[in-house]
Amino acid sequence: MDAALKRRLAARFGERLTSPIHQRHDETEIRIGPGDVPDVVRAVHDEPEFRFILLADLAGVDTGTSMQVVYHLWSETSADWLRVVADGLSREDPRVPSVTFLWQGAEWMEREAYDMFGITFEGNRDLRRIYMPPDYQSFPLRKDFYLADDAARSPGAGVRHMEQSHTPRSGRTETLVRKTRA
Amino acid sequence: MTATPHVHPPQEVPSDDPRVELDAATGAFEPIPPYPPRTERESEFYTLGDGEMFINMGPQHPSTHGVLRIVLKLDGENVVDLDPVLGYLHRGVEKLCENADYHHSIAYLDPLEYISSLFCEWPGVLAFEKLLDVEVPRRAEYIRVLATELNRILSHSMFIGWMALDLGGLTPILYSLIERDEIAEMLAALTGQRLLFNYLRIGGVNGDLNHEFLSRLGDWMSRATTQIESNLTLLNENEIFVRRMRGLGTLDKETAFRMAVTGPNLRASGVPLDFRRAHPYSVFPELEFDIPTRDEGDCLARYLVRIDEIKQSLRIIDQCLENMPDGPIMAKLPRLLRPRPGRAYAAVEGPRGQYSAYVISDGTDQPFRMRIHDPSFVHLQSVGVLMPGHLIADAMAVMASLDPIMGGVDK
Amino acid sequence: MTAMTRTWGRMTLAGKVLFTVVPILLVLTLGLIVLVVVAGKPIVDFLAANLWLVRFVVAATAVLLVSVPFAFLIMYMEMKIIALMNLRIGPDRVGPYGSLLSVVHGLKVLMKEDFSPTGADRLVFTLAPIAVFMATIMGMLVLPFAPGLFGADMEIGLLYFFGVTGLSVVGLLMAGWSSFNKYSLLGGLRSAAQVISYEIPLTLSVVGLLLLAGTMSLNTIVLNQAGWFTDWYVFQQPLGALIFFIAATAEANRTPFDLTEADSEIVAGFATEYSGMRFGFFFFAEYVNVFVVSGLIVTLFFGGWNAPFAWPEAWAVHLTIDPGSLGIGLLFALLIVPPVLILALAAPFFLLRSSMPWWQALIIGFVLFNLLIGAAVTGLAYVSWPWVAGLAWFLMKSYAFVFLFVWMRGTLPRVRIDQLMGFAWKWLLPAALLNLFVTAAALVVVHPK
Repeated sequence: MDAALKRRLAARFGERLTSPIHQRHDETEIRIGPGDVPDVVRAVHDEPEFRFILLADLAGVDTGTSMQVVYHLWSETSADWLRVVADGLSREDPRVPSVTFLWQGAEWMEREAYDMFGITFEGNRDLRRIYMPPDYQSFPLRKDFYLADDAARSPGAGVRHMEQSHTPRSGRTETLVRKTRA
Repeated sequence: MTATPHVHPPQEVPSDDPRVELDAATGAFEPIPPYPPRTERESEFYTLGDGEMFINMGPQHPSTHGVLRIVLKLDGENVVDLDPVLGYLHRGVEKLCENADYHHSIAYLDPLEYISSLFCEWPGVLAFEKLLDVEVPRRAEYIRVLATELNRILSHSMFIGWMALDLGGLTPILYSLIERDEIAEMLAALTGQRLLFNYLRIGGVNGDLNHEFLSRLGDWMSRATTQIESNLTLLNENEIFVRRMRGLGTLDKETAFRMAVTGPNLRASGVPLDFRRAHPYSVFPELEFDIPTRDEGDCLARYLVRIDEIKQSLRIIDQCLENMPDGPIMAKLPRLLRPRPGRAYAAVEGPRGQYSAYVISDGTDQPFRMRIHDPSFVHLQSVGVLMPGHLIADAMAVMASLDPIMGGVDK
Repeated sequence: MTAMTRTWGRMTLAGKVLFTVVPILLVLTLGLIVLVVVAGKPIVDFLAANLWLVRFVVAATAVLLVSVPFAFLIMYMEMKIIALMNLRIGPDRVGPYGSLLSVVHGLKVLMKEDFSPTGADRLVFTLAPIAVFMATIMGMLVLPFAPGLFGADMEIGLLYFFGVTGLSVVGLLMAGWSSFNKYSLLGGLRSAAQVISYEIPLTLSVVGLLLLAGTMSLNTIVLNQAGWFTDWYVFQQPLGALIFFIAATAEANRTPFDLTEADSEIVAGFATEYSGMRFGFFFFAEYVNVFVVSGLIVTLFFGGWNAPFAWPEAWAVHLTIDPGSLGIGLLFALLIVPPVLILALAAPFFLLRSSMPWWQALIIGFVLFNLLIGAAVTGLAYVSWPWVAGLAWFLMKSYAFVFLFVWMRGTLPRVRIDQLMGFAWKWLLPAALLNLFVTAAALVVVHPK
């Protein structure tokens, strides 16, 4: 745990953080609103006290109640991974600014998050599906994804009857959604 | 909170799309998608300039390292632009892990990169251990380092063979396979499997060092250096090979960071960033090894960095055998793991770069979210920056030098 | 009709072949008999008056027939030698040490489905492999295999050779164009660029040799090199020989210049869409071409069918065997000598190794006897007929070069297209011109006229 990093982050982004800075093992986590992503990320990338120059990972997360985009950053200045969580994206229309202006390599990771969660990254020049077929309509890693629903909507519907026979009655979907507060 | 599934608006394929008509008329397969472009980039790519043509490389092509499809936009033999099409090997590993318990998840991580399986398991296991606050016994840590460094040599020696094969050399790949086979047999004696080892466990490893493994390892270590060196003379002293690789596909430092490139590909561009040192895990702080770097950033540098890394790995294996402590190989853990709700992230330095896993626990016995980051995915993306401007022949060499494995790219 | 089709469908392959071939042969034989009976005299007269026609037919047939075992041997060499270099086993199933695998490959391509892709230009697509094959085979016609053993001894033999083998590029272009595949097209265009560029250093590199030889007839060039191996042109034209070898490698599309079918780049180049016997023709032509190129290198620079040494005339063995002089003894000798020799050869094995059953010893004796007799007959033929000796030397030297080509394939990676072109125009061409200049200057100094 890097206490100095925590102090620096609190001093720099104090009012923007949506929840207290959380530290565990070698990870420091800050949570911000989706609109603050470009500013915060640019600040931790550019400013000499942070210099988080390497984008280690970009992940979409569906907590069951809201959507998140999680960035993991690495810097020489700290022994910790910096985890930036863009929190509180709506599940109906999740939108977050893209970070491709800083890391061109985030393009495919954002495409993947779009493919799996339907998160729209504003500013990504090539936001289309990356793994799933282009005519696919569901987002498989969302917690309300249900294979039978997916099969019924897919172009191959009716090909394999097994998958269709389990479509739940309408209204039951909500109880199936797994949620976390972590 | 309504839970209506989020559905993409259905896209209609207009039947009077001229491109579809054209294909039907000539009977040719043009790699243009039969639906309107979804993004600006796509419409820009699938619009041909003067004298340009598309060529569809893969998913069945001799040198795409698995089932990758690349649509190349060519001007003569020059690559103008390219659009990799992924997903032919997509298995939804992340989704599978969310529906398995913590122990089972490890088995799903193995086939990600079937040439460096241990490195795919490791970050997952590390992240689970972080979630559970498990202390791993020192002997288990040393065995992990020993096994993974062997796996690194295996992976790098296959890289050398593939690199030569993509440049038209028939023989080195078979010498590499001999090397690989010896190490695979060795690891099979240790783990019970030749390819998908499934060896690391939460809190330790699956089995202790045994006699067959140690005797095979000792036998191989006594001649490994000379054997690898003699295999490499076929390439390193080959004028054609060196000339084709030098100055090809140069990746500078800034671009490498911008493309989030890690591992040997980054070190070949002159950045001594190795997570074994930069963000130490396991027992690496106790071990002595150098971080080989090159400044050129071209294909030859990427190739030579990997060769130097093989030598460093041999050093590490030596030290592991020397300092191997006694003790248990597993921490005491309950059968059914229910970590407290929380998040954990762990990364390791693999033969291709940074392998990492990000786990969210919701207090049940299954991971709530399992995110896997694979270096092949990122490196394949940087092919899009490196390839344009090269000839087709070089484009393949550039891709080979970044060493992507499609199992890891497609997850 | 349906009954006939059904029967046909049930037949085995051998049955189908017999069912087709036997009636055709019968009809042909009958036709020939009728032709000879009806118009025998005029035909014989005509052939006697036009002997060149007979000679042409015989030479063409012989070259076609002979190319088959040559190519099969090279295929086998390539498979086996590269396997050994790769530390693999290689072919080991069909025939001793897998040596008949190339024959099986030949049968395989014959039996495979032969389709052409939608959109292909069928006529050109079919003609392309034939064009390539013909160009290669025609080059073989002027190669002197041994004293008196050649298709044709032309005064412009070398020119003819370059002209005819250069035609193969037309076939490759046809294949690349007609396949309706971009990989094929790239392969065809690459081959056009490559072959045309390398024609120039290839031709220029032998001009110096032509100045020395004073003729373009390949037969005369070989005769000029008679004597000890120091008389071979390679010692007077080392640079020319080197350039010729490199350029010939590129002409034959061999590694490291096999860009036309670079499998890691453009799948199989011009042959991507080919299958069955059409592909077989390409495949076959490639290997015949390797032999032809090796043969030409040997002919021009390495003494052709000349032995590398010339013993003084006094040492020559002149054997005159007249079996008739033995009279009735010959019959007895033929009856008695083989069993006696077999027994004599088998006896030591049987006596020294008690565990060996008698029939195994007999088999060993029989094999040894055959080897002995074979060696004796070969040796006899070698000293008795000059063409046997010539052929043996020519084939040995040629296959040494074939081995060199195979070796290079097992060792070297492929060059890039711009390196390939740059090498031809920036290095080979000036070197060839330099060679020509030096040779001409030396000739003027040594033999001022």
